[in-house]
Amino acid sequence: MTTPSRLRGAVSTGATYLLLVVGALLTLAPFLLSLLTAVKTPGQFAAQPVLAPPAPPTVANFAELFGERYDFVPPIVVTAQVVAVILIGQLLFSVFAAYAFARLRFPGRDALFWLYLATLMVPQAVTIIPLYSVFADLGLRNTFWALVLPQLFGSPYAIFLLREYFRTIPGDLLDAAKLDGAGTLRTLRHVVVPISRPILATLAIITVVTHWNSFLWPLVITTGRQWQVLTVATVSLQSQFNGNWTIVMAATTVAILPLLVLFLLFQRHVIRSITITGFH
Amino acid sequence: MRSRDTRTAYLLLAPSLFGVAAFLVLPILVVMWMALQRWDLIGPRTFVGLDNVVAVAQDGRFARSLLVTAVFVAIVIPAQTVLGLVAALLLNRGLRGSAVFRVVYVLPWICAPLVLGVVWRWILAPTDGALNALLGRRIEWLADPALALPSVAAVTVWTQVGYVALFFVAGLRAIPSTVLEAALLDGAGAWQTFRLVTLPLLRPTLFFVLVTGVISSFQVFDSVYALTPNGGPQGVTDVVAGRIYYEAFESRAVGQAAVMAVVLFVLLAAITLAQQRWFARRTTYDLST
Repeated sequence: MTTPSRLRGAVSTGATYLLLVVGALLTLAPFLLSLLTAVKTPGQFAAQPVLAPPAPPTVANFAELFGERYDFVPPIVVTAQVVAVILIGQLLFSVFAAYAFARLRFPGRDALFWLYLATLMVPQAVTIIPLYSVFADLGLRNTFWALVLPQLFGSPYAIFLLREYFRTIPGDLLDAAKLDGAGTLRTLRHVVVPISRPILATLAIITVVTHWNSFLWPLVITTGRQWQVLTVATVSLQSQFNGNWTIVMAATTVAILPLLVLFLLFQRHVIRSITITGFH
Repeated sequence: MRSRDTRTAYLLLAPSLFGVAAFLVLPILVVMWMALQRWDLIGPRTFVGLDNVVAVAQDGRFARSLLVTAVFVAIVIPAQTVLGLVAALLLNRGLRGSAVFRVVYVLPWICAPLVLGVVWRWILAPTDGALNALLGRRIEWLADPALALPSVAAVTVWTQVGYVALFFVAGLRAIPSTVLEAALLDGAGAWQTFRLVTLPLLRPTLFFVLVTGVISSFQVFDSVYALTPNGGPQGVTDVVAGRIYYEAFESRAVGQAAVMAVVLFVLLAAITLAQQRWFARRTTYDLST
């Protein structure tokens, strides 16, 4: 390598790093700035420049957030319960359906699968009004069931992904289970599920992220505090205490943190899953 | 044997079939029926025929929301695609630490758009927000009718760039290095190689990113709701999903909201089919032979 070309290589590497770092700073800045504000007292936030460092950092906002006035614990509990129930339902019923589509022959299979795929096109903004109407008629407004039922029975998306995966399982394995006298449920539990762990883990993460972040449906179907989820609680805190940014930023930090931790723990998995699945 | 399979299959399918029918297919039929009725969320429903359709056609706000959404999509899609591609090219140079940058870039995408909207609402606040403090100026990012929509679009782009970049990274990895080396041997420069070799080979990825991007930005709600409630200053950020929500749950004109929902459904179905057609017609480059 000649010196000029080596120099050019070094410059281009340097420029790449510079751009990557600028991108990272732009990405992280909002998170860091909101955390900075969340650990300031309201007095300091009002009296000093907005970007001044917290002196000293305080957890008072978080204590207040979980205190009587703002009572942010119930929304976390409700959200966690909703996510847990949806997660179990979606994984279980999606595995059932995907196995039927991938491994069983039955009349109507292709038509039904096509129907499932077509429903991927249905936008949430379209179903929200009829679903509200149906749930109101059933007297299920503002209940736990209203939050979980629409998502509980599996998602066409998860079924599609699992079906692709199940089709790759060697037929001999399933035949062997059958010869051993295992019924469908036992085959699923002892053969199919253990083999499919990676895709199931991926789906589990996708489901948790999607439903932890869910907003529009909980916003319309719940009222008041009883079944308020974290996103709805955050925005209602913001509109109620507009301008009290220290407490609002403490709330956004609390709302974001669990997913960030989950993401950092499983980041390899999540990143791979996004690119194989393109989930939304 | 065959009939046992059938029974087993339908037993396994029963729960998801119920879910799909009750929560995805039935609502489409119900919303069409609701479009012909007047309802205020509480009282009785009355059949009014096409009155709602006429009312929506005469109310300029729905047309405006379609326009707002189109402008929003027209800002967000090119910006996030170009920035995502640039980020992917930087990430794909195989430099040390690329994996860490990749994780950082995806962070916003994992978080709730609603919550990020609240965070950005503070950052863009006129007097005590972080951005104006940094700039030393007092700009009404979200209250100025000329700035509100570009600001909301910028926040959306910020949220999605890392996600878009991931797909381009995957697409770039799928390009065999021999193809790129051949271009270099033929005397092509870096820009030429990118334009004549890399970009055409990225076409499938590009289409995927564009199709999913257009469909999801057309339905944007959460972040817009958090940043600029009630359609923003003079309704300049009143996107379609928001218009439907406000019409149904604030104005309680549910029938008219249902009409808008039907229009949105038809529009998105048309966009999806058109894109699919276009996608099918374009040749993709098969490198396996």
